This record gives sequence, C-alpha cells and structure tokens, in this order.
Amino acid sequence: MIDEIIRTEGLKKNFGKLEVLKGIDCSIRRGEVVSIIGPSGGGKSTFLRCLNLLEEPTGGSIFFEGEDITKQKKRIAAFRRKIGMVFQNFNVFPNMTVLDNITLAPTLELKIPKAEAEKEARELLARVNLLDKADEYPRKLSGGQKQRLSIVRALAMHPEVMLFDEPTSALDPEMVKEVLNVISDLAKSGMTILIVTHEMAFAREVSDRVLFICDGIITEEGRPDIIFNCPHHPSTIRFLSQVL
Amino acid sequence: MDKVIKLWSVYQDTFLSGLVGTLWLSALTVLFGTLLGMLVALMRMSKLRLPRWFAGIYIEILRGTPILVQLYFFWIGLPKIVPFELGDTACILVALIINASAYISEIIRAGINAVDKGQWEAARSIGLSEFHVMTRVILPQAVKNILPALCNEFISTIKGTSLASVFFVNELTTSYKTVQSVTFLALQSLIIVAIIYFILNFTLSKLLILLERRLMNRD
Repeated sequence: MIDEIIRTEGLKKNFGKLEVLKGIDCSIRRGEVVSIIGPSGGGKSTFLRCLNLLEEPTGGSIFFEGEDITKQKKRIAAFRRKIGMVFQNFNVFPNMTVLDNITLAPTLELKIPKAEAEKEARELLARVNLLDKADEYPRKLSGGQKQRLSIVRALAMHPEVMLFDEPTSALDPEMVKEVLNVISDLAKSGMTILIVTHEMAFAREVSDRVLFICDGIITEEGRPDIIFNCPHHPSTIRFLSQVL
Repeated sequence: MDKVIKLWSVYQDTFLSGLVGTLWLSALTVLFGTLLGMLVALMRMSKLRLPRWFAGIYIEILRGTPILVQLYFFWIGLPKIVPFELGDTACILVALIINASAYISEIIRAGINAVDKGQWEAARSIGLSEFHVMTRVILPQAVKNILPALCNEFISTIKGTSLASVFFVNELTTSYKTVQSVTFLALQSLIIVAIIYFILNFTLSKLLILLERRLMNRD
C-alpha cells in the first residue's frame, strides 16, 4: 500500500442550506505536493479548512494517518499540531514579537524549553530571510514578511502536512515571489503540501498533482502537465481558458 | 459658601469616612464583578446550550430591572437563604457585584468578539489547546478593547453605590444623610458630597484617558 497520510471519504460540508462540499473523496500520499484549483466559491478553501477541522464537516470522514479525526474531537488539538496551516490573511499574532509568534505553540504544547525553541525559531527565520526581524512586532513587517513568518510559525511545530489557503492572494504583486519561493523550497524538502492557489504557473511547476474542485466536488484531477495541457472536464476547460 | 466651608471643617471626618466606604464598595464591586462577569461571558459564549441560556437569562434580568429593586431584593432575600448572619453592607455588596457582573460580562464578550476571527483560527491551527487559545492569544488582544469600557463601568459603579445609602451602608451619600440629620444643613452637605463625587470621577476619567493613550501607543 502507498504511504497515505490523508484520505477523505464522502466529505460534505453545508453552511445552513448551502451545500459547499458535496462529497469529496481523495487520498494524499506522504511527500506529495497537491495544488487545488478551481473557480471561486467552488469549495476549495472549505475543503482545506475541513482537513484540520477549522470547519466541522457535515458528513463523511477524514483519515489522518489512518485515524478518522472527525470522530476524535477531544484530540483535535493534537492532530492540528501535525497539520500546519497558512492563511490568506497571515493571521500572525500582533501582540507578540516575531520570535514569540514562533515559539508560543512549541513551548506551550510540545513543552520544548524556551531557549531551545528560540534557537530553532532563529534557524527557521534565517531560512526565510527574516532573522533580523526576530524581535520586532508584526506591525513593522510587510505583507510578504508576515506571510513568511506565518509559514515559519507553522513549521516550528514540525508538522507532517502543510495546508496553504491562498497564501499569496492578499499580497502586493512584488511580494508574491518571495512567499512562493519559500513554499517551493519546502516542497523540495519533501514536505507534504496541499495548496489552494490562483497562481497557475506555480501550481504547474511545483505540484505533483492538481485537484480541480468545482461546485463542491473534484471534477478532475491528475498530473499538472495533463490538467493544464489537455483538460477533459468541461468545467476545467472553461476555468483554464479564463485564467490562462 | 461660608456655611459649606464651616460644615466641611467640622464634619470632614464623617465625609471622608463615607468616601472611604464608597471607594471600598466600588473597588470590591468592580473586582468581583469582573471575575464573575468573566465567568458569565464565557458561559454566554459557550458551545453548550445550557450555560449559554442561563447566562443570557441572568444578563437580561439584571439589565431589565432597576438596580434599586435588585438591592431591595438582595437586602430582604439574601439573609433568608444563607445559613449565617449577613449584615446590610454584605447584602448590598453582593447585589452590587451581581448587578455589575451582568454589564461587565457584556463588555468582556464584546471585547472578545472584536478580536479578528483569523486569530482564533491561527491559534487553533498551530495546535494550541482551547485554554491557551483564549489566555495567550485572544484575551491579551481583547483586553485592549475591554479596559476602556471597564473603566467607564468603574465610574458608573461609583455613582451607583450611592444607592446603598437607602440601606444606611457607610458610604458617601449616607454621610450626607448623617450630617444633614444632625445639622439640618441639607443643601450645604449635599454640595460637599457632590464635589467629592465629582473630583473622584473626574480624576478617574482623566486617568482613564491617559491609560487609553498608553494602550494605543503600545500597539
């Protein structure tokens, strides 16, 4: 059997009467980089947010390393520690320094000694060229810097999967690249990544597989070269003709 | 005016003792009202229906009835239900605390709700326990929204404690009653009491503005 890290079966999510996810079946292998594309309002972000239960699914199952996490509500924080997430709006903690943003969860929840956590935080900051900002507050950072900080904050928990929810959509154009470079380095390091993105060139270049989500289901999936060069499903063809 | 000054010089101990009573009542009311208010606010925001309903009813009743009625209610009712002796001051203090807790809980809830939803999500996504999400990420940010409103509540509590004079609890307005019943100088003693209240609240609200500015600068 392939080394599967996440599997969803018939994943459904309703917001009131609105059915956003209509049954998503998918399987993610360890180390795989998966881009999720599709039209706005199609359910991409909701799908991603279900995977760490920021949205509670209305139906179906999510297996993380073989365990159905929808049935393990008491251990939800423990699962989330293994699933990093990066948001469109960064959501860095404005009331703490850059360093404290990163060390907060490792010291509190993994009981890593403060000095050790700070040492690792500095190493991570160096990797994303933010070491000189370690003692600043986030208000002094640019959007791109905030997003790199939020990536590092997630990495400090040593997650096994990273979820990116449109990580560059709120950035000024000149900052998109610095964030994409970090994600791309992460992909090369073997991290399992799911990324919802509108950066088609990036999805094409970095991912092993592309999921096309439209109207709450995966209408098409496959290798990026196939999806982008000869899409089959009418919705994919229509979408790609609009964005490419 | 001469009479006011003379009255003050003779009865200043009475007035000052009343002032101390007012300060104690207000401080204890705000302190315990805040602790209780925090609990009520958390219940109000709970995922469980029962505590949410209970807190909702609690708040509505306390905000929907006059504070004087509540004071009477506790003054008459409380000694009947507790198994030990309870003085008037204690009954009134409990009533003031409970009344303040309803208002303070709404201040706290509004302060917490004003924190960006993304902060909750980010804090949860890195695997913080719900307790740490609240204490390390949300509350420190909510305090900035809560503190100014809480200081206002403090000022209105100080004014509210004057109602305790109905029950002859030692506080500033009661000291007016005492002095005027001895001297029959009602207007003059009232002026003194009003001046003390004003100085107290004016100073407090100035301090509050200073505090707000410092909080603004920090962010």
